[in-house]
Amino acid sequence: MGRVVVPALRGVSFDVEEGEFLTVLGPSGSGKSTLLHLIGCLDRPDEGEILFEGRNVLILNDDELAELRLKRIGFVFQFFNLLPRLTALENVKIPLALAGISDKEADERARKLLELVGLGKRLNHRPSELSGGEQQRVAIARALINNPKLVLADEPTGNLDTKSGWEIVNLMRKLNEDIGQTFIVVTHDPQIAEAADRIIYLKDGLIEGIKSISR
Amino acid sequence: MLSMAWMNLKQRKLRTSLTTLGVVIGIMTIFAVASLGEGFRGEIKQRMEQGFELNVLIVFPGSFTAGLREGFSQKDIEYIKNVTGVSHATPLITIPLTEEVKLCNETGTKLGAFTIGAVNFTEMMEILPQRFILTKGRFPRENERGKIVLGYKASVVNETIVADVGDNVTLSMPALPTMSTSNFNFTVSGVLAKGGTSGITNFDYWAFISIEDALNIITKKDKPYQIILVKVSNVQDADRIAKEIEKYFGSYSVTVFVPTAFTRQVNNILSLVQMFLIAIGSISLIVAGVGIMNIMTVAVMERTREIGILKAVGAKNRTVLGMFLTEALLVGIIGGLIGEFTGCLFSYGLAQILNNFLQPNKTELLERPETQSIKLTPALSITWMIIAFMFAIIICIIFGLYPARKASKLNPVEALRYE
Repeated sequence: MGRVVVPALRGVSFDVEEGEFLTVLGPSGSGKSTLLHLIGCLDRPDEGEILFEGRNVLILNDDELAELRLKRIGFVFQFFNLLPRLTALENVKIPLALAGISDKEADERARKLLELVGLGKRLNHRPSELSGGEQQRVAIARALINNPKLVLADEPTGNLDTKSGWEIVNLMRKLNEDIGQTFIVVTHDPQIAEAADRIIYLKDGLIEGIKSISR
Repeated sequence: MLSMAWMNLKQRKLRTSLTTLGVVIGIMTIFAVASLGEGFRGEIKQRMEQGFELNVLIVFPGSFTAGLREGFSQKDIEYIKNVTGVSHATPLITIPLTEEVKLCNETGTKLGAFTIGAVNFTEMMEILPQRFILTKGRFPRENERGKIVLGYKASVVNETIVADVGDNVTLSMPALPTMSTSNFNFTVSGVLAKGGTSGITNFDYWAFISIEDALNIITKKDKPYQIILVKVSNVQDADRIAKEIEKYFGSYSVTVFVPTAFTRQVNNILSLVQMFLIAIGSISLIVAGVGIMNIMTVAVMERTREIGILKAVGAKNRTVLGMFLTEALLVGIIGGLIGEFTGCLFSYGLAQILNNFLQPNKTELLERPETQSIKLTPALSITWMIIAFMFAIIICIIFGLYPARKASKLNPVEALRYE
């Protein structure tokens, strides 16, 4: 048996409008995460193109992609992916530090954002001292701290109980409406998917259907 | 980045301190050995300069290769005097003192001298102004006869003066054909200052008479001089003058002792030994470097997920590289500083121990000048401090580079998936 190459995505094409709240719904193995990694410039596709603000991002080098991730894109993960040794505040400050923003300003901005996501009183707690929902709020604050155009969330509720899950979804929805950032949320939960403006159904690396929800 | 690296190091205290310890030992060894070597070299050099007048060449007849030759004539001395760059050349006749050839005081007690040297006192004073000096009495004048100048140990035996200024001493020597003993009387004119240090121009066990008196004693009169002392005006010319003298007498017919050549060679040997020891110290530092590489490779694996997170939120490859290199650098700086500090202490401690070993054996029958103890003091030089410190940093960076590069090249998606 040799190595068998299984393409995760086999011809997926769609546009995302600015300010849209989009969910990608599909069972595990349908290629949702791969799709999100590609949009988020964490990975490169074998074929095809990804246009971000009208620009093909695939011609950019690793450093330029990193810069894009830093300033224009925010990531929220299923397993939060916070640095365990750092406090909530410090975790949120990482992208600011990477962008070369002074510690004083970073501190101020991170505090404000953590208050916005409802963690004003948990600034100096480490991830291990926070609940799952709280950790995910820290992660959302980290994703938003550099004012990105696009926020990508990979199963953000996958590791939370139903109540905290919904709190997170509602928070993202609220941020989308208040600040106007574009959200792409990957989920396998049809109920959560319904919170979006538009749902893309993904199966075996292909788009099965697209459903717009008018509010 | 610095505070982040510092935090990462603090997170793994035991591991960091063990890694740093490796660097500390390496730097400590290098620095201590270098300092001790430098100190030892300085001590030896100073001693050699005290022991030999660097501007005085000593010419012996014959050589090890061709065997001993008969002595030098007055003509030979005149030739050497005229070589360019030579300021003085003076002959020396030696009469070794033995069981039969004895130098005794008025009561028949043997003096402490091992040999009698016949010299021109005025010229000797000019050639060796720092060594050929009196502690009491005076040197005989040009045409004074029957006078003798004693070396310090010749005058003092077992801490008692056996012959002092104004005393009469007798040289008795058997004449070969008849075996009858001839006696020659001298009056002590002066006693030389204690030489003490090592080196070949130490006159403590000598007694000096004038050449004219010596020529009356010895039987061989055509080429009587066994040694010629040559003073050069400029130390740099010593080698050239030595060559010219050798050329004049012919290959292997004379041996010219050039103190600068000797000190140079000793210095070279000491440098070699020092370098060898430093090389050994360097090996321990390289071992420490491999330790750093090992630890950092493990750290990169452990922190794969963290690297993935940082990259996902926008850290560039070189930011990750810099982060890990900063950690290696910190280990280098801390290890280097501690290593130099402990290296200072270590070198003094080692010097103390070695000095105890180097103490001469006090029970030795003869208190020889050569057995004077050598005192080892480490010479802590800024140069070596900088070299050792740079070495620590370079080793840490070189060995930290591979794991740091590995970390920076990680694919973020795979890194995030890593458990």
